Amino acid sequence: MRVLLAEDDAMIGASVRRGLSQDGFTVDWVEDGRAAELALAERVHDAVLLDLGLPRKSGLEVLSAMRRGGDTRPVLIMTARDAIADRVAGLDAGADDYVVKPFDLTELAARLRALSRRRAGRADPILAFGVIELDPASHETRVRGQPVSLSAREFALLQALLARPGAVLSRAQLEAKLYGWSDSVESNAVEVHIHALRKKLGADLIRNVRGVGWMVAKPDAPQATS
Amino acid sequence: MRSIRRELLVWLLLGIALAVAAAAVGTYWRARDEANALFDYQLKEMAASLTDAPFAAVPAGAGTIGAGSDAMVVQIWDRNGVQLFLSQPRRVLPQNAQLGFTTLSTDSGPWRVFSALAAEQVVQIAQPMSARRELAASMALRTIMPLLAVLPFLAILIWFTIARGLKPLDRVAAAVARRSPTLLEPLPESDLPREVQPLVGALNDLLSRLRHTLDAQRSFVADAAHELRTPLTAVHLQAQLAERATTDAERAAALGELKGGLERATRLVEQLLTLAREEPGVSEVPPASVDLAALAREVIADLAPLAGAKGIDLGLSSTAASMVMGDADALRTLISNLVDNAIRYTRAGGRVDVALADDAGSVVLTVRDSGPGIAVEDRERVFDRFYRGSGAGGIRGSGLGLAIVKRIAERHRADIELGTGIDGRGLGVTVRFTQPISGSPAPAAP
Repeated sequence: MRVLLAEDDAMIGASVRRGLSQDGFTVDWVEDGRAAELALAERVHDAVLLDLGLPRKSGLEVLSAMRRGGDTRPVLIMTARDAIADRVAGLDAGADDYVVKPFDLTELAARLRALSRRRAGRADPILAFGVIELDPASHETRVRGQPVSLSAREFALLQALLARPGAVLSRAQLEAKLYGWSDSVESNAVEVHIHALRKKLGADLIRNVRGVGWMVAKPDAPQATS
Repeated sequence: MRSIRRELLVWLLLGIALAVAAAAVGTYWRARDEANALFDYQLKEMAASLTDAPFAAVPAGAGTIGAGSDAMVVQIWDRNGVQLFLSQPRRVLPQNAQLGFTTLSTDSGPWRVFSALAAEQVVQIAQPMSARRELAASMALRTIMPLLAVLPFLAILIWFTIARGLKPLDRVAAAVARRSPTLLEPLPESDLPREVQPLVGALNDLLSRLRHTLDAQRSFVADAAHELRTPLTAVHLQAQLAERATTDAERAAALGELKGGLERATRLVEQLLTLAREEPGVSEVPPASVDLAALAREVIADLAPLAGAKGIDLGLSSTAASMVMGDADALRTLISNLVDNAIRYTRAGGRVDVALADDAGSVVLTVRDSGPGIAVEDRERVFDRFYRGSGAGGIRGSGLGLAIVKRIAERHRADIELGTGIDGRGLGVTVRFTQPISGSPAPAAP
């Protein structure tokens, strides 16, 4: 899950980015409102973490512009002002949730996961498809009830595929989910991780659609050669 | 305790009593004059009636004219001075008579005497003056009696009138009592007597100043709490990361960042304290002669390592004048904040210049840098606490440095001005101490 973090305080921004990365999020960090708008225009992020007190363009303005432009991605505001009026203004401007500074990293991650579930229309926190079960909170993966140990990238890759089961995701789409701006991506990185995943889960669970991309499959579905 | 009511009552009653007394005295004097005229006329008439009648008829009538001490005394002599009649032998009166009215002084008080010569005899009628005094006194008494009678009622009326008049004071007192630090509305000024209005006006003035001070304090506390939240949030997050760290290297890195966060929070708290200390009325340090050049040298020495680390050329260029009256610690903070800001916002390899000049008897401190400067539209607001210029370029100060500088400058009655820095670029801060310079004698202006 790739998140856009808009926070003008260097220390808070760095800590949130590190903490969320540890929780398996891919985080891109901008420090002012204009940069946030540019990043949003890329349409690669699944959720936005927005500080209200941004320089150049306030978080509230960024949020209003987003919603006016038809951007429905979940927005979680981070505010240092705990006055009810500020939170109400944020929610009324189109935010989905808020945290008040100082907040807890685990809570922030949980709220982001909740937002992502709601956006996907799911209530069950476990992502499941066929014999695969994935718990975004605990980072546990099970295949036919058996735990499987995945690296952070492999986990993120599987999560991206499970988020839209049955849909074929291109390499570029998967790359966008997995890597932030600051990550250097090797040209065949996605293939490498897919290869490892199929090795750990079983080759029949991840299907390659030649020339298009990959999708998760139920084991009894007809097999395609990779 | 003094009471306006009691004092007014006592003095008013005293005044009324004096007026009554004056009226009594006046009445007495007038009544005595009238009594004199009346009795004199009576004496004359009586003398005339006695001289008209033949002697033999006199004793019976004269004897009955009066009895007791107030009675008139009649004496009649013949032409040869032989006393023919004396109505009251016990009375001692002059044997010789002076014609007309005379007032004689005798052992039994003054007497009024009238003597008349008629045909063969001299008739003298005498009357004690005390009769007239008594008449006058009783008239005076009758005049003031009603006044004395209404005096108690007057006292009661005065008592209640004063109470009524002082009611607005009670109302004001009650209104003041209802005020509290959270409720400092002005007192109602309508319906107040002219005498109470200045008091209420002054109170309202005080209340409004108090309200402003309290509002300023409250907004300062709210701002401070809000500003503290940011570094504390950072520390909070950094601590969580340190907790999560699984390897020693990760933990060391996280703890290093935590330390940085704590330093930042500490610096903010220190600056808040400095600002609070510079609040008007807080610092009671008596002004002393301060050498700004010495302070500038200390500050530059302290900050030289910071400047050196960024490759900034920091120096004191001139010290033409340097003695001012003030608080040395506060002035050191002022210079330190300005120089620290200049270093912070100047890019590596830049320059920061501190100078002290004499301008028409004023000591002028300038701190100029070759940094990005402050946009003209931001120059007013940068002195507001917690305001950070839009051109700060990612450099995060507490937003308090210049607010502190301004407060200290105000306390020293120094003007502060923002302009351009070195070579027309960057920021130049000019602090002009317009106070009279003491210490080293300033060179006389040409």
